[in-house]
Amino acid sequence: MKRLLKLFTNGLVEENPLLILMIGLCSSLAVTSSVDNAIGMGAAMTFVIVFAELVISLFRNLIPNSVRIPTFIIVIAAFTTMIDLIMKAYFPDLSKAMGVFIPLIVVNCIIMGRVEAFASKEKPVDAVADALGMGAGYTWVLVAIAVFRELLGNGTILGAQVMPETFQPILFFILPPGGFIVFALVMSLNLWLKKILEQRSERASAKEAA
Amino acid sequence: MKETLKLGLVLAAFAAGACVALALVYAVTGPTIEGLEAKQLELSLKDLFPAADAFRELDGDIKPQDDSVSFVQTYEVTRAGAPLGIAIKVQGSSYGGDTTMLVGVGTDRRITGVKVLDIKDTPGLGANAKSPSYFVDKTSKTTFPGQFSGKPLSDAFEVKKDVAVITASTITSKALTNMVKQAGVAASAYLERSAQGGK
Repeated sequence: MKRLLKLFTNGLVEENPLLILMIGLCSSLAVTSSVDNAIGMGAAMTFVIVFAELVISLFRNLIPNSVRIPTFIIVIAAFTTMIDLIMKAYFPDLSKAMGVFIPLIVVNCIIMGRVEAFASKEKPVDAVADALGMGAGYTWVLVAIAVFRELLGNGTILGAQVMPETFQPILFFILPPGGFIVFALVMSLNLWLKKILEQRSERASAKEAA
Repeated sequence: MKETLKLGLVLAAFAAGACVALALVYAVTGPTIEGLEAKQLELSLKDLFPAADAFRELDGDIKPQDDSVSFVQTYEVTRAGAPLGIAIKVQGSSYGGDTTMLVGVGTDRRITGVKVLDIKDTPGLGANAKSPSYFVDKTSKTTFPGQFSGKPLSDAFEVKKDVAVITASTITSKALTNMVKQAGVAASAYLERSAQGGK
């Protein structure tokens, strides 16, 4: 159990896909101009990565090494299309707002990377824990960036006016350059978090040794 | 050779499995998606022509003047058999790709209303064309598509002159205005023809 928890938290801070592994950045900058988009994207991507890692891990011994990449793509594309259809049917507004970024989950390097580096070698239970951690790590970063960008760039959070009427939205934060700057700030915040966690575990192990 | 065949078969098996799963999901969600789209279209048409009680799809009689836009569907809107105007679902290219709008033109050669159905432009900028809370004129609370309501087709439809622009989104504003104008001109020409020819 502890091992699974470790796998899960690994994706949150230590090996956060966006902030440490630095993969899958394109969509994270594109959809974070509003918080509801960020939540929707995070949920959709978590769905795809959990099922893709689970299926690939289940069949890992049946996939020939030389055609593993096409096989991964088939599996990932199938789940992406499913979530696309499901969102269109049951969350039409969210699906409209996300537009092309849902189909683009197929080429999200986080999923491809984790499937290749983790799920194709590990047991299904571990793969799901890893996928949940990666999904949650992706989602919290998206939401953190989006809160900054939507608040400063549009004066709202989740579409509700937060800033006073007189607040002049800083358009810069909605635009891509603002996304990069906020992204860098969140990245340094995560490094600080990681350092604290490391110091704490060092202290713990030092205590054990003593 | 044998090895290659085996690889192909494995891939085919995965593809077939994925296809079956997708077909199942599609069978469940397909009708809901279509129903939603049809319902949304009817609501939008009602928005443009609140008095209307019937919509009839026209086939191919109305064409845009050039290739910059295309008309996906055109509807004749009537009330108790008498024509109220034309609604055109128009598609054109804007800053972020294909944009779809619904443009209503009344028999008096005025735009009855414009609705942005689908836009892929930058959220917070061009996509504000669709936002009900983004106003090009804050004092009168006019949205970007809202400003076209009641506009006579004899106007110039020039951005920054008689059409207010979305802040920092000139390309979006121009593209959308062009779509409204093209739909308006084509619809009004059709209305003229049908009025003269007595159908």
